[in-house]
Parts: sequence; structure tokens; C-alpha cells
Amino acid sequence: MAITKARAATVTAGPHARGGIWSWITTVDHKRIGILYGTSALVFFLVGGLEALLIRAQLARPENGFVGPETYNQLFTMHGTTMVFLVAMPAAVAFFNYIVPLQIGARDVAFPRLNALSYWVFLFGGLFMNSSFLLGQAPNGGWTGYVPLTGPRFAPGLHIDFWVLGLSMLGISSILGGVNFITTIINLRAPGMRLMRMPLFTWMTLVTSFLLVTAMPVIAVALILLIFDRFFGTSFYAPAGGGDPVLWQHLFWMFGHPEVYILILPAFGMVSEVIPTFSRKPLFGYAIMVYSGILIGFIGWGVWSHHMFATGLGPIADAFFAIATMIIAIPTGVKIFNWLATMWGGSLRFSTAMLFAIGVIASFTIGGISGIMHSAAPADLQQHDTYFVVAHFHYTIFGGTILGTFAGIYYWFPKMTGRLLDERLGKWHFWLMFLGFHLTFFPMHWIGLLGMPRRIFTYYDELGLGSLNLLATIGAFTQGVAVVLFLWNLLRSRRHGVVVGPNPWNAATLEWSIPSPPPEYNFAVIPEVHSREPLWERREATPAPPAPEPAIHLPPPSHWPIVVAFGVLLTFGLFLANVWWVPLGGVALVAFGVMNWAFEPGH
Amino acid sequence: MHVDLYEKIWMGLAVLMIAAFLGSITYGAFAFASHPPSHVETIDPKLVRTDARFATPGVSTRPDGSVQVVVLAQMFSFQPAEIRVPAHVPVTFRLTSADVIHGFAIVGSNGNTMVVPGYVSQFTTEFARPGDYLIVCNEFCGLGHHVMSGKLIVTEEEAP
Repeated sequence: MAITKARAATVTAGPHARGGIWSWITTVDHKRIGILYGTSALVFFLVGGLEALLIRAQLARPENGFVGPETYNQLFTMHGTTMVFLVAMPAAVAFFNYIVPLQIGARDVAFPRLNALSYWVFLFGGLFMNSSFLLGQAPNGGWTGYVPLTGPRFAPGLHIDFWVLGLSMLGISSILGGVNFITTIINLRAPGMRLMRMPLFTWMTLVTSFLLVTAMPVIAVALILLIFDRFFGTSFYAPAGGGDPVLWQHLFWMFGHPEVYILILPAFGMVSEVIPTFSRKPLFGYAIMVYSGILIGFIGWGVWSHHMFATGLGPIADAFFAIATMIIAIPTGVKIFNWLATMWGGSLRFSTAMLFAIGVIASFTIGGISGIMHSAAPADLQQHDTYFVVAHFHYTIFGGTILGTFAGIYYWFPKMTGRLLDERLGKWHFWLMFLGFHLTFFPMHWIGLLGMPRRIFTYYDELGLGSLNLLATIGAFTQGVAVVLFLWNLLRSRRHGVVVGPNPWNAATLEWSIPSPPPEYNFAVIPEVHSREPLWERREATPAPPAPEPAIHLPPPSHWPIVVAFGVLLTFGLFLANVWWVPLGGVALVAFGVMNWAFEPGH
Repeated sequence: MHVDLYEKIWMGLAVLMIAAFLGSITYGAFAFASHPPSHVETIDPKLVRTDARFATPGVSTRPDGSVQVVVLAQMFSFQPAEIRVPAHVPVTFRLTSADVIHGFAIVGSNGNTMVVPGYVSQFTTEFARPGDYLIVCNEFCGLGHHVMSGKLIVTEEEAP
């Protein structure tokens, strides 16, 4: 028997609020915070998706006047910013929160209140940035925010202020989250859960958390310099004042490329859970999957200037970054082949989760290959900032991260609710989304090579781009239908889905050993782990789960995280007043909240 | 507060590492005047129109038969908007920007450079196929980004 009684908890549990909105505001339970993250990411996904549909409606035919250039610039800037920072990252963090403690046999994360703080700062940052739409002054400088276009001289008004301040807040949230998950995974593993027995999703969470903790400070530096330029009249980036606009590009991409792996590694982790389960085979080459994930994390730091081949860095820099970029394709390719080898000879079940995981393999590989095309600097010069690049990164971020996240949702939904998502609707969702996705983004390769630059609000008829763009628009709306089906499936299955037991997929990892949805304390007794697939070992001996121990210590709810998060919001939001001492009000609230946090009883 | 011995050693090492990194960056910046790798030829973006290098944008032939094209990029046009160069001859483009970052991409060739204010961007290429080429700005530069384009005409005959 793989799961035996290991150790008993001793401290008495405090009072717990169990229902109502207040219990959600003050919760420090990692499962509830995971649901909050996931729900918020879904809402932002709808916002960002709506922006994408408006963009595609505008580009459906040449010289269209559906939205004006100013609105268009705000739409694509917010679409990119939203999808990266408010959708892909929090959706992954939702699963970090919900699943990782369950996979390692822990009762919560290492710092439950810090976890709540991460969430609230993220939510406030996202709402703050989107509130700019109410003033008609949404950010309009592109998600990369290249100076001097985003500097004080060429971007007056509040547009870029909202962007730079909102992003700073999101960075704080990500760093806190990264610290929390590194500590949780290193320190809170159940007895016998050695590093090389951890599920792949937990491993990729660990690598991603290290990337968060190391990459987010770089964007923080870049943003703080821009805040100084915009609010205090410095000229770090202004060439007229002796500054250097190329500095922004280096800082942005030094963060931006590790960020790409922050986006994709969690999805790789999810795919690495789904494929073995539905192939009824252990993951092929576990160790090399772990090592290639770590390698991607490391080499991801040495490729940033491949975004800057056109900047004119000279042949030595270009050659270095071209080679580093080609090298990083190797560990990524290893993962693709190992997934294929896992399926090879397996007893395959094509559930919706499995279809999405296979969809990742197919789509991400195309994005990976166009990535290699960019890595050759001379070839990149023909593709730089054209729609070819747009096609490439949607194949990796949508085809990898978003499809992978959907695989995760269909896979773990029964663990979170005790009910299955409807498989018939799920298959409609998958096929519509998969076909719509390729219909949208595959033509963009040609659109780009024919010379259509990114971020143009319209194009002339004589360029002959009309029909390919129309095709892309049809694809985008097909995906819109798929998302509506998914939403309906989600709402319906939450109440009426097929009720299932703890392990509906016959999966191998620890989260499937406890009831669905898991009780507040997760594990009645902390399991002892003897292998990588604890639930596939000697299954016949599984007894009924023992009764929970009478005294399991769980941290009581706390309202200080949301107070501190509100202080962070004030600190950054009050910069809009443009008086240097006003943000200090927010700092005071943060200090007050942290003091009370530190001396809160029961923690 | 009790701090574990290993933790103390690790903290000490971390502080030393930070000091060494900061020290080497500071030393490099001041002793060798090193900066992030960038193009070396600079220009004052406020004075581009009076600077001798960009006062008269256009095409000129150099003594060795090669062709030089001087282009000024600004919101939202290239100056000159129409460029005429001969085929099978090395053509050197020299560009700068009067305001924000622009792009200069000749569609259907690998002539493409970012045009950064404060710097002179330069590249040399040769056109094998005569014909009309579209020039686009592919760095987002604001409201009129979509209209910022030009035309390159590659001719069989010799340069003017």
C-alpha cells in the first residue's frame, strides 16, 4: 500500500468561515485561491477575446472603418497585455495553487496569506489597467511599450500611465507567487516524495517559479525607469536628454524571453500529466523531461536579443543569440518526442483532455519550427515585426499555453467539483477551437511574408491581403463560438455533470487519492510515497480512506492580505495624481497592513 | 533569532556575489566606458535636419561606383518617399529618426532595420531583381503607423 499513515497533526484548528462572500475575501485556502485565480483569468480571457474579435472585425477587409486607429491601437495593446499577464499567467497560477499542494501531499502552501496577497494584488492590478477603458484612455503603445513612443514626450495623457503602473503591480504579484511555490515545493513534500518522484506538473511549477522570481525584477527595473521618465522628468530612455531607447529593448526582452517560458512550461507540465494518464503508461523518459525543463529555464535567459536582430546590435551579438536560440530548440524537441513516445504503444483514450494535449503537440510544434526560422538572423530580417511573427507567437502561446490549459481544465475539473465536464460538448469545443485556431493563424504566415506589418489598423486593397485576412477573421469567430460552448459546458456541468469518485481517469498521482472536491485539509493522513506513480502501485490493497484526524491545524482566514493589496493599489494608482507625495498614502496603508499581518494571532 | 549555520554561510555568499557583480559592472562602466551593445554612430535627434549627414536625404553615387541612400524617418513618412537605385550594385542605406523608433523594411528582400532616434542605422545590400518594392515601417510608431510607407524602384540602368 503506497499511502500509509505517516504523521499526525497536533495543533487545534481555529474557527473557519465556510460560506458567503466574506469567506472568499478572507480565504487563505490554496484551493479557494486557485478557484479565484481561475475565475478571474476566465473573465479576463473573455475581455481579451472580445478585443481580439474587434481587431479581427476591423481587419476583415481592406480600408475598413469599423474602429478608428486610436481605438484600434488601444485594442491590440490591451489584447496583448491582457492575454499574457491577466490570462495565461494567472490561469497557470490557478493550477499551481489548486493542484501542486495536492500532488506533493501537502495541506496548504508554505505562506497561505502571501498567496492571498498575490491574488488580490493581481486582481487589483488587472482591474486598474482595464479601468482605463472607462476614461477612454486605455494603453496604446503596444504590449512591448517601446520608448520613446511610450515616453512623456510622445505619449501624453493617462494611457501609458495606466499601463506602466498596472504592470508594476502585476509584477509584485508574480514575484510573491514565485517565492511561495518554490518554498512550498522544496519544503512541504510528503515523506518519500523525493524531487525525482515529483509529478512533472509540480516540476514545471518549480522551474516556472524560479523564472518568475528572477525575471519579474528585470521588468520591474525597466518599468521603474519609465515611471521616473514619465513622472519625475528624468531621461533614462530619451535620446534628446542623453538616454538610450535601446536600453528599454534590452531590459524588456531580458524579462520578455524568460516570460515566454513562464507561459509555456506550466502547459508543458499539464500535457505531461494528461498524456500518460490517457495512454495508461508512465511518462517516457521522466528524468530527461525534468532536465530538459530545467535546461529550457536556464537557456531561456540567453536568447533575449533574438527579438532585436533588426535593432542593429552587430554581427557578434546577432550570432550569439542566433545560436543560443537554436540550442534551446533541443530540450523543447526532446519534450515533444517524449510525449509521442509515451503515446507509442499505449492504450489510448481520446477524452477531451487528451485531444487538447495532442492538439498542443501538433500546434506547438508548428510554432516551434517557425521559431527556428526566426533564429536565423538573416531570415528573421524578412519576418521581423510582420504578421509572420504574429502567427509564430500565437502558435506557441495559443497553440501551446491556451490549448494546454484547456487540457488541464478538462483533466482536473472533476477533482475540483466532483463532476465531469460534458464530453460531447467538450469535443465540439475542441474541434471548433482547434480548426478555428489554425484557420485564424495559419494564413498569417503568408500575410506576413507578403509584407503586412504588425499593429497596422488597416491596409490597402492593392496589396492583395484581403482574402487571407478575411479567412483569419472567420477563424477567430469560429473560436468565439467554441468559447461560448465551453462556458455553457462549464456552467452546466458544475450543477448537472456526471458525478464521479476520487479518480475518474485512473490517474497515478496523489491528488487523485483524496475525495473530489478535496476537504479543506486535503489529506486526512499525510501519505507516504514510494514511487513516481503511487496510485498505480499495488492498487488492489487500497482500503477505504481513514477518518480525518480530529485536530488538523489550518490557518484561520485573514483580511490583512486584501488590506495590504489595497494599499499596493493606492500606492501605484495615486501616481495618476502626479503629485509626488500623494502615493505615500498607499505606502502608509501597506505598512499598517503588514504590521497587523505580522502580529495576527493563529498564524 | 536563531539562524542556521548553512543559512548564514549562504547569506554571506549571496552578499559577496552581489557585491562582486555590482563591483564588476561599476568598474566596467567607468574604467572601460562600456555600454550595452548598440550601434556606435550617434546623432542628436533634435538636430537631424541641420546635421550635415542628413541635411539632404536622397540617393548619391560614391566614387567606387557603389550607391548610398540617406533616409530620414519621421512620423509618419520616409524622406525621400520614393527611392530609385540600380540593380547589381552594392547599396548602402543610412537612416535615422527625427522622433520615435521606426522600422524600414523592404518587402521581398532582407533589407530591414530598426531606425532608432539618437543613432544612425546602416546596412548594405544588393538587389538582383529589378522592379518595384514596397517599403514599410514595421515598428509601431503611433496613430499613422499604417500609412507610413515608401517605394523602392530598382532599375536595370546605371545610377543617376
